[in-house]
Amino acid sequence: MKRYGEHRFPGKLFVVEGIDGSGKSTQLMLLHQWLRAEGYGVVFSEWNSSPLVRDTTRRGKKKQMLIPSTFSLIHATDFADRMEHNIIPLLKAGAVVLCDRYIYTAFGRDVVRGMDPKWVRGLYNFAVKPTLAFYFRVPLEVAMKRILSGRAGVKYYEAGMDLGLSENSEESFHLFQARILEEYEKMIPEFDLTVVDATLPIEEQQEQMRQHVRAKLAQAKRLRVAP
Amino acid sequence: MRETYGVVLPELNRAELTGKLIVIEGTDGVGRSTQINLLKPWLEQLGRAVLDTGLSRSELAGRGIKQAKEGHTLGPITLSLFYATDFADRLEKAIIPALRSGFVVLTDRYIYSLMARAIIRGLDPGWVRNLYGFALRPDAIFYLRIGVDDLIPRVVFSRGFDYWESGMDLYPSEDMYEAFRKYQAALLAQFDKLAEEDGFEVIDATPDVHAVFRRLQDGIFRVLSGEPRAPLFATEAHAAAGDKAKEKESKAAAHAPAKEAEQEASR
Repeated sequence: MKRYGEHRFPGKLFVVEGIDGSGKSTQLMLLHQWLRAEGYGVVFSEWNSSPLVRDTTRRGKKKQMLIPSTFSLIHATDFADRMEHNIIPLLKAGAVVLCDRYIYTAFGRDVVRGMDPKWVRGLYNFAVKPTLAFYFRVPLEVAMKRILSGRAGVKYYEAGMDLGLSENSEESFHLFQARILEEYEKMIPEFDLTVVDATLPIEEQQEQMRQHVRAKLAQAKRLRVAP
Repeated sequence: MRETYGVVLPELNRAELTGKLIVIEGTDGVGRSTQINLLKPWLEQLGRAVLDTGLSRSELAGRGIKQAKEGHTLGPITLSLFYATDFADRLEKAIIPALRSGFVVLTDRYIYSLMARAIIRGLDPGWVRNLYGFALRPDAIFYLRIGVDDLIPRVVFSRGFDYWESGMDLYPSEDMYEAFRKYQAALLAQFDKLAEEDGFEVIDATPDVHAVFRRLQDGIFRVLSGEPRAPLFATEAHAAAGDKAKEKESKAAAHAPAKEAEQEASR
């Protein structure tokens, strides 16, 4: 069983992290377009886990059956399935794999839910270390404005309602995200996250991202497939 | 206060857990559920409320695990985490509330079977230990131990070989008999290791049901009365020696007040 940092694959793995409303998904989509245009064999990992794990996760959320320990473990199960059946085979095949959220999302949420930080990190020790992990840093107020204007409402677990921070889902969401933000800050030096200022214009953020990615791909010319 | 294996679940007040947690471990077909079916009414006759529970019975993940095993599509890490999810659900929603209410919880297998299965499938023992770090340490772990040669007739003449109990995912090129032998031998070796690391009380499961039941009764009675446990790997001979020592002690104890009385009288 290979541990974090011990895997050696021909492919490259780029992940984006940040709270909801940080703009990370937009940035990843732009990166995807660019890599494709450059002729790389690039796969956007769609988070399609096997139906049975997915059904359990969904049922647990819908019926609000999840408690911090099972919330953490069922997401780890789901992630393990994607890792074993999707990400690792793609990296072995030499693909450039892009992931919207990765283990750091779990570290943030689970620790805020009261799980032991070392335990959660140990749990995900089987994950492949990304080539680069981008963290889109954004002030809470900016992210909130982006989200609450564009969405009908936040879901129970998304708002951290299970923590009992507030009866009001919007307020709960606010408090929950603020705590997650604190966890992200701790993870920047711990996991060597590449910080992007998510208040900059979209095209400027994208330019920074491409520079970092270009530097990593320069050593891996053979990943390029014919356009 | 009740200990865990290193990690404490959020908002768990361990001082409230006044019940007893008793684990019956052992490989497939060794007779665990037969024993639990005998132990439960016996304990109830003693006036103890009993919760009996077992693996993959959680409301959350029980069904998913059964389906997963039918399709055998999950990788070893995924399957281990799925079992751990099921275990956590049962621990927090059934075992902990029962312990809080002062029940005797009798569990048919616990984390040890899950750890043994994961480790023989090549997962890192350190990773597996961490995974179950939130588990509560039981008051006693009774391990029903049997050799592969004694196990085979029991399995063949009752329900036959099963895909998972034969480790067919690990030894797909073997026939079920060969795979069963290899798989169970690997499991038993792993159990012996865990028995030492985690202080199992080993009970020889080869004698008849009632002999095994009596050993379990003795052990559980001791746990409930708060006496210290028997030495690790107590064989029949050791256990007998222990009983004799106890007899001597109790005789000595019975004589002591009499002697004192005599001395009093002679004074």
